[in-house]
Amino acid sequence: MDLGADLRAELVRAVATTIERHAEELTTLDQAIGDGDHGLNMKRGFEAVLADVANLSAKPWPDFLKGVGTMLVMKVGGASGPLYGTLFMGLGKDLPAEPTRADLVRAFRGAITAVQARGKSERGQKTMLDVLIPVAEKLEAGVAETGAITLAAHAAADATIPVKAVRGRASFLGDRSIGHMDPGARSSALMIEAVAKVLEKA
Amino acid sequence: MQSVGVVIVSHSPKVAEGAADMVRQMVGEEVPLAWTGGNPSGGLGTDVGQIMAAIDRAWSNAGVVILVDLGGAETNSEMAIEMLPDDRRAKVLICNAPVVEGAVVAATEAAGGSSVDIVQQTAEEYSAR
Amino acid sequence: MKNGTATDQAATGAIVIAHEVGLHARPSVKLTKLAKTFASKIELGLSDVGPWIDAKSIVKVMAFKAAKGSTLHFRAHGGDATQAVAALVDLVRRDFDESHGGG
Repeated sequence: MDLGADLRAELVRAVATTIERHAEELTTLDQAIGDGDHGLNMKRGFEAVLADVANLSAKPWPDFLKGVGTMLVMKVGGASGPLYGTLFMGLGKDLPAEPTRADLVRAFRGAITAVQARGKSERGQKTMLDVLIPVAEKLEAGVAETGAITLAAHAAADATIPVKAVRGRASFLGDRSIGHMDPGARSSALMIEAVAKVLEKA
Repeated sequence: MQSVGVVIVSHSPKVAEGAADMVRQMVGEEVPLAWTGGNPSGGLGTDVGQIMAAIDRAWSNAGVVILVDLGGAETNSEMAIEMLPDDRRAKVLICNAPVVEGAVVAATEAAGGSSVDIVQQTAEEYSAR
Repeated sequence: MKNGTATDQAATGAIVIAHEVGLHARPSVKLTKLAKTFASKIELGLSDVGPWIDAKSIVKVMAFKAAKGSTLHFRAHGGDATQAVAALVDLVRRDFDESHGGG
């Protein structure tokens, strides 16, 4: 039995579960400062990924990640479909079939750069990047303890609350976007927590 | 060579179809043309998969230009281009032009046999006029 | 001469626009399409001394706005200049091949 396949399947299940559990919360966050469909979109996307988990996880890491990414682009829709799709596709892009931790950290950074280009955004603009980048920095600094990574992700999501949005639908609200957590930041933090929990046990 | 193809992407399927009708009426049948609008749930929006399908319908070896309306249409079109096969990706260009007028201008230029770069340039010239 | 200037023509022509709506979008498309079938440089203007715009440029021709009753002047330079001007004048004379009234 390919242990890699089991791990990949477990990761899919963990992420899909957390998204499903928090779909309403994500929608509420998005209703405050966005289109109001983030929870719904993400849930639909990850349900599709989950439905195809056997096929996807049978593939080696690079193709698995690219496959997840492609499915997210096609099924999530809205503003986050292309962004999360790009993130996962970017993760799998130049990854070796049997990646080391260093390969994964490097791939993560590369994927973040691709998301920045796709969304024409950067750190500090109240987006998912505000969680992804600090987490990448922790990983690059050698932090391996999954609890610390999870804490960093959630702290980073919290830090988006007082920020004024300059990107996406939220930017049209101007000052009214202050005081609300960015939904993409929240979904990123939740996904990182889910991945961290699985890897902790692996 | 076949003329450059034109793809119209709007948040509204009615706008996209209407723009395509105008192009056909003014420019004729010779330019490959496809349109897409709306999201899979039937609401206003755009969809990457639908855009990729439209690029395929309007495909020409001379290339394809895409006209878009607001923000999301452009982002999704960029995503669609990125997901095209290697031999097609470089030949698809998004035009920074109003969706209806840009489509008419692009199709006119394409009908004259211009390259995809010139078709894009001409559509963008409309904005600069 | 090697670069063909001995056979280059210069031609001019003028025609009154009778078309109801003048030179609007659809006639502009037909005019530029026809102009592009000729190799010569072709320009159009509202007087025989210009100002001239490129007759092959759809954006410029669409912006041109020549109303019914105005006289369109053409000037062309190149191997097929005479044919180009004749064809364009004829297109205008034929009301850009648009039918009026009724589908």
